[in-house]
Amino acid sequence: MTYKVSEEGNISTVFLNGEIDMDVVDKAKELIMPLVEAKKEVHINLKEVQYMDSSGISVLIESHQKALEVGTKVVLKEISKSVLKVIMMAKLEQILNLD
Amino acid sequence: MDEANQIENKISEKREFTVNSASLKEVRSFSREVFEKIKINQDLKDELVLAIAEAAQNIVKHAYKDIESNNDKMEIKISLKKNDELEIGFFDKGKPVDGAKVRHRNIDDIKPGGLGTFFIQQIMDAVVFREGDKPWINHLILTKQL
Repeated sequence: MTYKVSEEGNISTVFLNGEIDMDVVDKAKELIMPLVEAKKEVHINLKEVQYMDSSGISVLIESHQKALEVGTKVVLKEISKSVLKVIMMAKLEQILNLD
Repeated sequence: MDEANQIENKISEKREFTVNSASLKEVRSFSREVFEKIKINQDLKDELVLAIAEAAQNIVKHAYKDIESNNDKMEIKISLKKNDELEIGFFDKGKPVDGAKVRHRNIDDIKPGGLGTFFIQQIMDAVVFREGDKPWINHLILTKQL
């Protein structure tokens, strides 16, 4: 997994790239959670994520819940077909903010 | 593929992987290689790869929980029978798993974790835990009629 982060005002956009599984999920979490805890609005761009397993979905849930707790939000952007399928399998399309 | 397997199965391939999270990428590559040889659509291939990777992840996370370092291998065997039933076997030497206690979390209780087993059950027709024949401790069998 590789990533890039861009900042614009209070919005941090995290561009993830590659496959997100148990082996790299801590890296994704360490990247996203501090931004949420800093009360940034976090956009996670998933256009270039070809594979995500339950570990990756857990990070999306955890960051979404933390955002609600601190009064901000996490928005999932340009979700790839394969990631969207896993989100829907987990019945999270109505829970997470999908754009 | 040995002769006995050739009679029973259209395809039967197995591979060993070190039990750690870094092996999960290799597990997916192996699964994709095998599914390239089977005429099924890409969506189903992706689902099957996810189910296999989640089961392998469960071995790393649960069967080897609290085991700090090891060089143990797990084996994954993918077989397509003559009747187009896909059988995926997982063999490991971790702590014995009581299949009756393996449950996914309530899907309406939104929280991180506990989704892997849910995904496996959504994708596959059957999930069966058996005691492994020596040297294996656990033998998980996932099946799906294609």
